[in-house]
Amino acid sequence: MDVNSVSSPIDIAISGMRAEWQRMSIVSNNIANTKTTRNASGEPKPYCRQDIVLSTSADSLGGISSVEVVTDTSTDFKRVYIEGHPDADEHGFVLMPNVDLPVEMMNMISASRAYQANVAVLKRYQDIVEVTLELLK
Amino acid sequence: MVKQPNIINYLEAGLRAASVRRAVLANNLANTETPGYRRHDVQFEQQLAQALKSSGPVDLDALRPHIIQPMNTPVGPNGNDVNLHTEIGELIKNDGTYKTYLRLLAKTYRQMEIAIGTK
Repeated sequence: MDVNSVSSPIDIAISGMRAEWQRMSIVSNNIANTKTTRNASGEPKPYCRQDIVLSTSADSLGGISSVEVVTDTSTDFKRVYIEGHPDADEHGFVLMPNVDLPVEMMNMISASRAYQANVAVLKRYQDIVEVTLELLK
Repeated sequence: MVKQPNIINYLEAGLRAASVRRAVLANNLANTETPGYRRHDVQFEQQLAQALKSSGPVDLDALRPHIIQPMNTPVGPNGNDVNLHTEIGELIKNDGTYKTYLRLLAKTYRQMEIAIGTK
């Protein structure tokens, strides 16, 4: 592979930071909607948790090229008995979102750690560039 | 008749472009939350590369850094396409370029001082 076809480490680290940032937004959206029982048009449809899928760039050393938001349909909604809830069925059960707080907290920690890792790469790269520029002194 | 620029002219032009870009990126960062704002960028290196490819001396005075709006980044819900991370990445890259030009310029002047024996 040609050395010149490799993207700058700054661009690669920034693409990682952007992706992890988006993961954090998704996680906080999931956490905010733990108890949401209705959709945007007000129908009694519980919130379905979301996740992101990352894809690498076409040239193998270009960082992350796209972030796709996907809806997690494999996890079932929780059926909770809440009497008198406006969205309850005839037996008093309400469908609650499939958001699991421990899972979301774990995703949050892994997203922020991955973000920090990308920042560490960026910082180290800046230090190395500084060392190179010392040669001009 | 345009004089063939020397290394100091090239470095000066590069430094000028880098400082303009720094101001433009700072303006982008200031407008991260402005509804409808589209990011600006500076075009200089591509034009310089083109001028270097063509035969004859390069007219650096004609190669002013141009402020452009790339309009190629995804627009958010408020019509704004500034991304904090991208701008910071661009700032870091621009600072690296600026520093390199400056060090090269200092080096050139130091070599001149050695040549005339002031040190």
